[in-house]
Amino acid sequence: MIDPAAPVLDIRSVGKTYPGGVEAVREVSLTLERGQLLALTGESGCGKTTLLKLINRLEDASGGLILYEGEDVASLDPVQLRRRIGWVMQGDGLFPHLTVLENVAIIPRLLDWNPERTRSRVADLLDMVGLPSAEYAERYPVELSGGQRQRVGFARALAGEPDLILMDEPFSALDPITRDGLQQEFRALQADLGFSAVMVTHDMAEALIMADQIAVMQDGAILQQGTPVELLQSPASDYVSGLLETPRRQMRAIRELGA
Amino acid sequence: MNANLAERLAELPHLLSAHVILSMAALGCGIAVSVPLGILAAQRPGLSAVTLNIASVIQTIPGLALLALMVPLLGGMIGFWPAFLALLLYSLLPILRNTIVGLQGIEPQIREAARGIGMTRGQSLRQVELPLALPVIVAGLRTATVWVVGAATLATPVGAASLGNYIFAGLQTRNWLSVIFGCLFAAGLAIVLDQAIRWLEVAARDRRRGLAIGVGVFLALLITVSVMPRFVTFQGETANLSRVEASAAPGIAGETVVVGAKSYTEQYILASLMQRQLEAAGARVERLDNLGSTIAFDAVRTGEIDVYVDFTGTIWATVMNRPEPIERHRMFTEMSAWLWEEHGIMTLGRLGYENAYGFAMRRDRAAELEADSLDDLAPIADELEIGGDPEVFARAEWTATRDAYGLGAMRTRTMDATFMYTAVRDRQVDLITAYTTDGRIAAFDLAVLDDPLSVLPPYDAIILLSPQAAQRPGLADALAPLIGAIDEMMMREANRQVDMDGQTPAQAAAWLDAGISE
Ligand SMILES: Nc1ncnc2c1ncn2[C@@H]1O[C@H](COP(=O)(O)OP(=O)(O)OP(=O)(O)O)[C@@H](O)[C@H]1O
Ligand SMILES: [Mg+2]
Repeated sequence: MIDPAAPVLDIRSVGKTYPGGVEAVREVSLTLERGQLLALTGESGCGKTTLLKLINRLEDASGGLILYEGEDVASLDPVQLRRRIGWVMQGDGLFPHLTVLENVAIIPRLLDWNPERTRSRVADLLDMVGLPSAEYAERYPVELSGGQRQRVGFARALAGEPDLILMDEPFSALDPITRDGLQQEFRALQADLGFSAVMVTHDMAEALIMADQIAVMQDGAILQQGTPVELLQSPASDYVSGLLETPRRQMRAIRELGA
Repeated sequence: MNANLAERLAELPHLLSAHVILSMAALGCGIAVSVPLGILAAQRPGLSAVTLNIASVIQTIPGLALLALMVPLLGGMIGFWPAFLALLLYSLLPILRNTIVGLQGIEPQIREAARGIGMTRGQSLRQVELPLALPVIVAGLRTATVWVVGAATLATPVGAASLGNYIFAGLQTRNWLSVIFGCLFAAGLAIVLDQAIRWLEVAARDRRRGLAIGVGVFLALLITVSVMPRFVTFQGETANLSRVEASAAPGIAGETVVVGAKSYTEQYILASLMQRQLEAAGARVERLDNLGSTIAFDAVRTGEIDVYVDFTGTIWATVMNRPEPIERHRMFTEMSAWLWEEHGIMTLGRLGYENAYGFAMRRDRAAELEADSLDDLAPIADELEIGGDPEVFARAEWTATRDAYGLGAMRTRTMDATFMYTAVRDRQVDLITAYTTDGRIAAFDLAVLDDPLSVLPPYDAIILLSPQAAQRPGLADALAPLIGAIDEMMMREANRQVDMDGQTPAQAAAWLDAGISE
């Protein structure tokens, strides 16, 4: 039924005006190919989170069309839609009163999987994110480090076998070393499982390292979308070059030290 | 064992079980109302402000007043329902407030996470928000439990049995053991229920099914044990009664008669005396003691009690609202006719003694002030302080007396009737509004001042039968021997036995009964 060649996500001229008149997203068009990671970047308040929420209908678009696996999301039941799309938020958004196991098992339970399938899926995922069940399953979120919590957050988002996961600054609360490790692990996980992802990030370096595609936003609109190499070689505007300047300067500084 | 202690212990199953049923019913319904209301209100700031304001206003009404107000609001109904309703209202605020605060205190991030992963509103509420708010909600529930169990002791004056019966009756008859009994058991019950809820919370939090079942079984047992005595005594007495019915003459044998009493010694004694007469005729007697003064009249009017003793002057002034007193025998006749025509209440007759309000003073103080009559007090009224029970200064008798004798400058001090007599004896007040049959007037050598203008109305003690009871001739027959049988001397002595000698009202009633039968 799903055409493997078709884009997972196809966003066409989508806009969002909040009640009160803030135009957070304007005329955005994007596509996300299967298995790819799209980074949304831009300065604070430019509409990244809003765009993400339009995809799983935490907010409803004011205009335009969003196709997920070829279906218009506006025609789908929002609750069912969200269960088919993973959701990772800044911080981790784990439920503090549930154990690691219960946090991860939540979506399979919402999807009414049989207990056997849920159990094996949860165990597999915890292994994959580096938190073996035997040691971590019964712990509560407060008993984990920030990095471990974020891993549980990924496992929870992936538990329902979604084709797409949406992430809002998933690494921003972590220290640089933990962040670097998790970024690599996430890419490996994605290569393994083959899901697609949209990731909001403030950090251009993170976008350059991780993403297949980068979309730069300003004032609710997309300034440029392309691969990291395309962006580095031909930034569409001074604004985009400005954003790329920070990681470039850091790279130069490090290279000079090494020489 | 001490007789007083034995009698208190004998009352315990009935009063404790009534208290448990009343407070648990109020709390259970309080939870059923305020948790859903709190959930609704937590999502709507307007609604939460309105409901919290209403609940706070209810909370500021003193418990006793709230309970008393339920009686007229329910059209004069007394007993379980007004008490239940007032306590239910009383339990709302803490549970409601904590439900709202608990839910609103959840981080928006968590709520958004629940929505983002595909929970419906209901799933988010049940699986995430309520469990997270549970400790706060339970804290409110525990506050409500302690309040309601405590306030349930105030159910006594509206005619609902509770551990408050110990406290009210003990206070009136200076039976401190009884007061302590009521306080201890009420406090104990509050602690037990509070801890039971705490353990339920622990069980829910740590998901300890065994613990939850344990506490659940305990609470279920508590309720069962509370409900059972009623059932068992009921059956037992039915069996008893059928035996009586077989032997006794037709009349009220085997029937239930509810005898009411206001909350002071004389009323307990007279209620016990009527109980003896009715039981001798084979009736099964239920007692509703400690009714507020006007609540007792309401109760006989609506038939919630069958019979009680009141006074002509009280009915005249507070029920018929007639400002000026008239001659004693005319008052009795007019009042009887009025009660019969207006309410169908039968005035069975006068017991024989008069128990008027009188103004009593230490004899030496009266001599010092050269006061024999109320007339003598006017010139020095601004130097005097008068003590009275909570009711008297609001009554027409006091205002009439005050105005007739020019006593407006006198300072008034309200206290419980039990404490008035010692207060005047110990010179804490100069004079009191005494009841002329009180045993302590003689015991403390108090002088009762003359009323030369006859402002104070006559107070003949009368037996009143509810409209329903008036249709049961056997009932009037059983009580008829009491008519004209008790004079002031006898009544004063019976009161004295209880107030001074520490006898129980039942013992004093037995003494009176013996005097009557002679
Ligand atoms: N629920 C809302 N109601 C009204 N305005 C909103 C709402 N949420 C966001 N906005 C506004 O929409 C604009 C875009 O907000 P958004 O959260 O999408 O930005 P962002 O790019 O994610 O910023 P940041 O990087 O700081 O997270 C902002 O001007 C914000 O104030
Ligand atoms: Mg954002």
